[in-house]
Amino acid sequence: MRVVCGGSSDVGRVRANNEDAYRIVDELRLYVLSDGMGGEAHGEVASAIAVQTVAEHCAELVHAEPGSARKANGKSAADTGANGESGERAMMLASAVRLANKKIFWSAEKNAAQKGMGATLTAAWIDGRKLTLAHVGDSRVYLLRGGDLHQLTSDHSLVAEQVRRGIITPAEAEKSDMQSVLLRALGAQLEVEVETGEQGLMARDVLLLCSDGLTRMVGDVEIAGALQAEGDPQKAAENLVALANENGGADNVTAIVLRLDEEKKNWLSWFWGGANKNGK
Amino acid sequence: MAMLTLMYGEKIVKEVAVGRRPIGIGRAPDNELPVDNPAVSNYHAKIYAEAGKLVVEDLNSLNGTFVNDLRIERAALHDGDQIHVGKHHIKVDTSGVLPQDMDQTRKATEMGGIDSTMVLDTKERRDLLQQASAFGEQGQFGSGRLRMATLAVLSGKTDKKEYILSNKLTVIGKSEMATIQLKGWLTPAVAAQISKRDDGYYIGMGDKTPLVNGTKIGGPHRLNDGDLVEICGVRLNFLFRE
Repeated sequence: MRVVCGGSSDVGRVRANNEDAYRIVDELRLYVLSDGMGGEAHGEVASAIAVQTVAEHCAELVHAEPGSARKANGKSAADTGANGESGERAMMLASAVRLANKKIFWSAEKNAAQKGMGATLTAAWIDGRKLTLAHVGDSRVYLLRGGDLHQLTSDHSLVAEQVRRGIITPAEAEKSDMQSVLLRALGAQLEVEVETGEQGLMARDVLLLCSDGLTRMVGDVEIAGALQAEGDPQKAAENLVALANENGGADNVTAIVLRLDEEKKNWLSWFWGGANKNGK
Repeated sequence: MAMLTLMYGEKIVKEVAVGRRPIGIGRAPDNELPVDNPAVSNYHAKIYAEAGKLVVEDLNSLNGTFVNDLRIERAALHDGDQIHVGKHHIKVDTSGVLPQDMDQTRKATEMGGIDSTMVLDTKERRDLLQQASAFGEQGQFGSGRLRMATLAVLSGKTDKKEYILSNKLTVIGKSEMATIQLKGWLTPAVAAQISKRDDGYYIGMGDKTPLVNGTKIGGPHRLNDGDLVEICGVRLNFLFRE
């Protein structure tokens, strides 16, 4: 699979500084996004530690194991099925996220001024046709496939948990004044539970990683529309950020957009690609 | 303050305000709203405030609790809702303000300003999430969360007879990425997809439109326990299993 990627981040229209951070590691096909929290500039410290640690730790793990290093270019493992065993990447990602958690926690322990800082973390790792996800908090991953937007992560927030337990409806959750209450975040405690998942990918899939500054300002339909309207991932990410700002830009906003395609393009695949689009 | 009025026909039996303590409904006399009727269980249901909402929860009653004629296990209440237990009903009036049942969280939220993100530490989190079960029905809806969604194949050619929907997104089609592998020349790579959201499982169109209980879906459609799904000549039964 071929992956084309773009990312954009903005402070928004209300906040003084941007506590979001993201990292695109093309050679690993690893994409990491973090939304920091905490007074002064400490949210920025936390999110920076988060993305840096995850990116570096994954790179180290891949290079430490020659068996998995070859997969880094995405070619040799191109046909791993969606339901293949592995889980190796999920374990690597989870361990990287736990390490980031410890680093943020200890940094805050050592510096009294950083007390209470924390961050969300969402990471996507593509290996052939397999997507491995790890996340803590309420930054999300979406998959756009065939015009439908699917959320691939479950928020670790109070309102999302209340919806899962049937206490409130999704519509009520969107209006709740408790939306900012997270149940899990990096840096809050020495140990953190990391949620991981795997998903099979297909040609023409579009992935979006984003902070809550986007999802609180822009609805699913608008997001799906923006992703479909712009073929260039970099421009699509910028458009989404602009959309969040147009709608009020209440928080920092970050978007990473990934487009997937078949490795080889011949006239036939162009034909099928075109036919499918028109046929819908 | 939210008010609950227990009625028998047009007659007002009792009126109570919802405070910090849950309001019990049942035949036992120690309930805040005692209902003297053989169709009502001793401890039939309870109503309490949670997360700024009024919630009614059925306590495994024999004959069930109904909100606006729908049988519920647990439901958020709104102003004007009617709860039926046996032959009695309870009118819900939330035009007053709900008690601040989550002082801790609210205070913390206010401290940081409503817009700033905060994390609950484990204790707060436990308290908040288990508030409902803390009143004696431990694990009642905990068990509900362990249910697995499955698709059982009733007829048609598939690679397995039953599928557990463990992924966020389950693909039905000919694609090698599909969890539910269909065969056949004209079968599309993605015939339909089932998406797991916070509030349930939704089936959406792929290159085909699936039928749910004999009707074509018009967009993402929430699946209920026992629903019959038909797609590309395959009939599937959506079931929750313990």
